[in-house]
Amino acid sequence: MTTALVFHPDFLLHEQSRDHPERRERLSYTIDQIREEGLMHHPAVKVIIPGFASMEAVSRVHHPEYLAFLEHASRTGGFIDFDTNVPPNLLSHALLAAGGAIRAADAVLDGEAENAFALVRPPGHHARPGTGAGFCYLNNMAIMVRHVQQRGLEKVMILDWDAHHGDGTQAFFYEDPSVLFTSIHQSPFYPGSGSIDETGYGPGTGYTANMPVPAGTGDESYTYLLETIIEPFAREFRPDLIAVSAGQDNHFTDPLTGLALTAAGYAGLMKGAVGLARELCEGRLVAILEGGYSVEGGLPYNNLGILAAMAGLDLRSIREPEVYREWLIRVSDPSAHTRVRENAHALRTRLAPYWACFR
Amino acid sequence: MGVWNPDQGGDARMLIGMDVGGTNTDLAMVGEEIVSEKVSNTRGIREALLKIRIPGRLAVSTSTPLNRVLAGTPVTVQTILVPGPGLFWPGGVKGAVNHCGDVVEPIDPQEIREILMRDRGDALAIAGKFSVRNPALEKEIASLAHAQYPVERTSMSYHLADLDFPGRIATTRLNAAMKETVTWLAGEIGAERGDVLFFKGDGGLIPPGYAVNNPSVLAHSSAAAVALGARYLSGITDCTVIDIGGTTTDLVPLLRGVPRMELLVHGGERTVTRAVVAQSFPYGGDSLVEGGLLPRRLGDALAFGGSHPTLTDALNVTGEEIGDAAASRRLSRESATSVIETYLDRISRAVSSIGTRHLVGAGYLAPFLVPGIASRCGVRYTIPPHWDCANAVGVAVSRVSLSLHARFDSGRGWVAFNGEHQPLRSMGDDDALVGICKEEVQKRAIAAGAHPEDVRDIEVLHVHSYDVIRGASRSSRIADVVVQVAPGITVKAP
Repeated sequence: MTTALVFHPDFLLHEQSRDHPERRERLSYTIDQIREEGLMHHPAVKVIIPGFASMEAVSRVHHPEYLAFLEHASRTGGFIDFDTNVPPNLLSHALLAAGGAIRAADAVLDGEAENAFALVRPPGHHARPGTGAGFCYLNNMAIMVRHVQQRGLEKVMILDWDAHHGDGTQAFFYEDPSVLFTSIHQSPFYPGSGSIDETGYGPGTGYTANMPVPAGTGDESYTYLLETIIEPFAREFRPDLIAVSAGQDNHFTDPLTGLALTAAGYAGLMKGAVGLARELCEGRLVAILEGGYSVEGGLPYNNLGILAAMAGLDLRSIREPEVYREWLIRVSDPSAHTRVRENAHALRTRLAPYWACFR
Repeated sequence: MGVWNPDQGGDARMLIGMDVGGTNTDLAMVGEEIVSEKVSNTRGIREALLKIRIPGRLAVSTSTPLNRVLAGTPVTVQTILVPGPGLFWPGGVKGAVNHCGDVVEPIDPQEIREILMRDRGDALAIAGKFSVRNPALEKEIASLAHAQYPVERTSMSYHLADLDFPGRIATTRLNAAMKETVTWLAGEIGAERGDVLFFKGDGGLIPPGYAVNNPSVLAHSSAAAVALGARYLSGITDCTVIDIGGTTTDLVPLLRGVPRMELLVHGGERTVTRAVVAQSFPYGGDSLVEGGLLPRRLGDALAFGGSHPTLTDALNVTGEEIGDAAASRRLSRESATSVIETYLDRISRAVSSIGTRHLVGAGYLAPFLVPGIASRCGVRYTIPPHWDCANAVGVAVSRVSLSLHARFDSGRGWVAFNGEHQPLRSMGDDDALVGICKEEVQKRAIAAGAHPEDVRDIEVLHVHSYDVIRGASRSSRIADVVVQVAPGITVKAP
């Protein structure tokens, strides 16, 4: 098994401001960890340096007016929302991130690798057709999905496990039955959307599934959702590609969120997703990095765990250092799992009219 | 330590290269003219050193004896790994350093003592994840093991400076196996001359202290020596150097004077040590002729007192005069012609596949065989003067080459130069940090014996810096910088 690790040193360059949560420092420790683990030279990992996404690929999902705004703001500086300003040269960094997502998909479609992890910055899943939001400018996931469909794949299943609801990605595919969008996210939380009632519209009805989870949710609940919602759903939908919006802000050390997933939990989730892809679509899986702000704490171990699971490596030492144990105990909420089960039951009921697996 | 002294007079300009080979040691003294000599190894290295009666800078390539150590009776290396969180390594001990160089889990001294009691080897390799950011745990284990493994039989991975734990493990194991021999060689040569430099597989020179900490850089240096020598002697920078030795023929392509380098693989494991790569074929002047050309050596050619005919004898039978040509006549003319054809065919095919336009010949048999290879491939060839000691010339004209991996961390208040922490009181911008690193590597290279003019141009291989944010505000800054004095020919080569 070979995993493509799509990375460009320039992914480290983007910065809205020096002290923004989505800053250079964010991925620097991860890259150190990956280099130190020898994965840049590992026989199971193929490092691929991507190029920029073409404007044609980006225009398939974003409005020309928005792209023109980004182009202009990238010269002068600009403002989208209080979390998201446009620093000089932004468009070039955003096009490189989108290019990373596309290159990851091409590596899988062309048989260079069984699956691929695009370790890109800036992230994309809050970006909608006509605007950016929440640290995101171009929706790397949506651009990648339309790219693979352009290349002939029909059905794509998206699993967005970033702690924040992938509202931007959901918006692109809300009426589209060729793309099954599923999201596990903290709720109530930014951006406020992602309730179980949002299940799609028109021909896309039943093709969106939101799994809101309360603060304090940990590994047990994520495994439960994988096994009881995502796996049966995928088996009935039968995707040609599984795409993971791999946000890593559900880690218990993340300063912006309140979830309690561990590095081992991330590795287990990805192992499950890889197993599903093998079962359903010849292993085709593309993971794209989204959020994750536990810069010095969990992030290097999470990214490593995900990559190791994709490459089929031994996961038994994927963990955080012992010094974080107390933090995990403080963040975890044992009652969260009951809420997760209740929500999952409600979601299954909501989707039962459209899917036999939930009846 | 050999420091250049321009006031020492004419002799100080002499560059002396010594390549300790399998049976002979080649010496080359490069000054206004080049003088070379072969000394039999049967009389020991000190005997070869006594032949050098002039002052000057001595550089030694010890690749062949070191390769023999590696190929001979295996040295049992006990390995202690401190992998910490991350990818799994079997047999790892407790303890962890994180990506920032903080010790986040201590080692358990009792666990280490028990391992040392249970498993014993000839040498000890210690490697911890992120030890290049903080060597404390590796040093602690070395100190616990000291009674069982003295310094010359203990290697630690933090000296290697690269972020690549598996590569450092393989390199540290290789270093542990070689360290005692290199320590002995350094002592042996140092006893005769205090000013020796060692020649590396990447074509650069280092002082003995560096070689002892990372002996792997000395292995497999023959290709670099001949490439550098052939380039210096011929002045040709874009070519393929073809080195015809006793047991092998090696092809080393040069592009703009620089040979291709690869990470050394030892025992199937990739190291972090870069060395010049040659395409090597198991045929040379001593290759046995027995029903055809065989990739084996059974001693010298008949022409040099051996008992079996070789490729060298075949050349004599077809009209050359190498050694005692009359002794070669035991071989039939038909066999001789046939094995020369076989040799030329095989090597020409390899040369053609490289796509070179110019061959530069080195090694004793180059004038006899390279014209035939060039003619078959339709390429030009040059046999430079002193072709038979190009390897020793390459060693002589090489220059000191060092790399420096620096990690600046203003929050923790240290800078790690090649894994060793020093206090960091203030930290400037990226340009200032690169300047500090250039100055540091220049200072180290000159202390190691480099001529100041050789360290004027420092290559900057990597710069990455970022702010460390804690509690939504900037608390400190981190920067990684890698610089090097690249391998090459010293400006003092005439």
